[in-house]
Amino acid sequence: MSYLKIENMQIAFKTVKGKFVAVQDINLKVDKGEIISIIGHSGCGKSTIINAIAGMLTPSMGRVMVDGKSINGPGPDRGMVFQNYSLLPWLTVYQNIFQAVDATLKNGTKEEKHSRVERYLKMVNLWDHREKHPGQISGGMKQRVAIARAFAIDPEILLLDEPFGALDALTKSSLHIELLKMWNLTHRSKTIIMVTHDIEEAVFLSDRIVVMNNGPAATIREIESVHLPRPRNKKETVNLPEYKTIRERLLSLLMEKFSIDDSEYFKEEQAA
Amino acid sequence: MKSNEQKLGITTGSTGSTPSAFTFIFRESAITKEWQRKIFSWAAGLGYSLTGFGILIGVWAVLAAMTADFPGPQTTLKVLYQMLLDPFYVYGPNDMGIGVQLWSSLIRVFAGFSLATLVAIPLGMLMGANRFCRRVFYPIVQILKPVSPLAWFPIGLVAFQSASTATIFIIFITSIWPTLINTAFGVSSIPEDHKNVAKVFGFSQWKYITKIVLPYSLPHIITGMRLSIGVAWLVIVAGEMLSGGTGIGFFVWDSWNSLSLEKVISAILIIGMVGLVLDKGFSFLEKKFTYSG
Repeated sequence: MSYLKIENMQIAFKTVKGKFVAVQDINLKVDKGEIISIIGHSGCGKSTIINAIAGMLTPSMGRVMVDGKSINGPGPDRGMVFQNYSLLPWLTVYQNIFQAVDATLKNGTKEEKHSRVERYLKMVNLWDHREKHPGQISGGMKQRVAIARAFAIDPEILLLDEPFGALDALTKSSLHIELLKMWNLTHRSKTIIMVTHDIEEAVFLSDRIVVMNNGPAATIREIESVHLPRPRNKKETVNLPEYKTIRERLLSLLMEKFSIDDSEYFKEEQAA
Repeated sequence: MKSNEQKLGITTGSTGSTPSAFTFIFRESAITKEWQRKIFSWAAGLGYSLTGFGILIGVWAVLAAMTADFPGPQTTLKVLYQMLLDPFYVYGPNDMGIGVQLWSSLIRVFAGFSLATLVAIPLGMLMGANRFCRRVFYPIVQILKPVSPLAWFPIGLVAFQSASTATIFIIFITSIWPTLINTAFGVSSIPEDHKNVAKVFGFSQWKYITKIVLPYSLPHIITGMRLSIGVAWLVIVAGEMLSGGTGIGFFVWDSWNSLSLEKVISAILIIGMVGLVLDKGFSFLEKKFTYSG
């Protein structure tokens, strides 16, 4: 039985102009330990779906089920990494993670909480930077803190909302590895749902890729399975023929036009 | 890089590939340079201020020379000096040193201001966090905020039957608004991102207030308090002129009645100085609690 189920979900917002349907007819089943990417153009409701799984939005139709139960509201079984890090700037790196652990691990002792923060900070190699404030560290480090924070509450499902969108290509690559490392270290038991608009990122990380149609009232266009062997690495995985096929397939789905139409230009040139 | 600096005649301390001992010396010189720069800019600031005051005193001297009753800078400064020589004497209810007067004013200001802060911060947080409270209370704030402090005085007299307490009351009622409005603004402008963190990680109400609401709105609150203490210091003079007894406002009025304009002007200078110190104190706090994301 699938661990996470989205059934006939529609999400609509009330606006001054009336009802605005962001996404509809969303059906998705995700197994435990799967990594799923949701990909699509801006404004196709990718983030809306992930916010609904997080419990921050309530579907206007249909439902989201985790472990056989309908969700209502956020819960400690789902951790989230936000696009813009969302660290609290007045707290140290350590405190940012500690406060999240403290809030979710209600029955734990102080020692348990502290040792957990330490373990996850060491996993992302930020133990030495624990006393710094978010303003003093780089974007890549901030996102590592955010990832550590999401893992540290030990959720069953990790939700990543365009987590690497604001980072440069090199930092991005190293964070992909970091994410897979964390996933391995937690015995590949965590289900990861990630929203992205980066095709290569989606192919490299995911088991399946959900391709969205354009909004408004966006629907799922197609779900691609990625059968690349794990563990994956940046050197070999990207050279596998399967990687290239899927990348091409996604490109053609997302980009209707591969290049601008040159014929018009040449016609004019010849006329002149 | 190096040649560029030489061309421009700039020396920035460490120049890249120097051995560590040299780097250390260079870095040290960079620190002293930093200090030199600080001292220089401070001295320049002082120079500008002195020029300004020079002009002010010059104009004052000319105006005083042209009119008969108006004391010039020299006589005034002499009186001020005499006042500062023995500030804490008490010869009777109507004859006390400037320090005693100032002290009793400051106590009243801090009493009124502290009460105002104690009410304004929780109420402001409530207004900022809750749309219903905001819509209920904001019209009241808008009506009461522009009322002159002196208009409140009779109300204070009736309520407290004491001129001194009434003065504290008018400071309270006039200095409450800036802190209230700024706190409400700070709390209502908490970014969605921070709220989402609290939602996703299931922060308790207490954790949300202490780890998100308060730290985020603290700079706004302190700005409000800075404006409030300014208002309070502005109001105290008028208040004490009405209430009499003690205080710097009473001192001004009393000096006027005994026809000592030198004392009035001296008191104005002192009021200005104290106001400046209060403002600087809060702007120091403001800087201290401002963080960068």
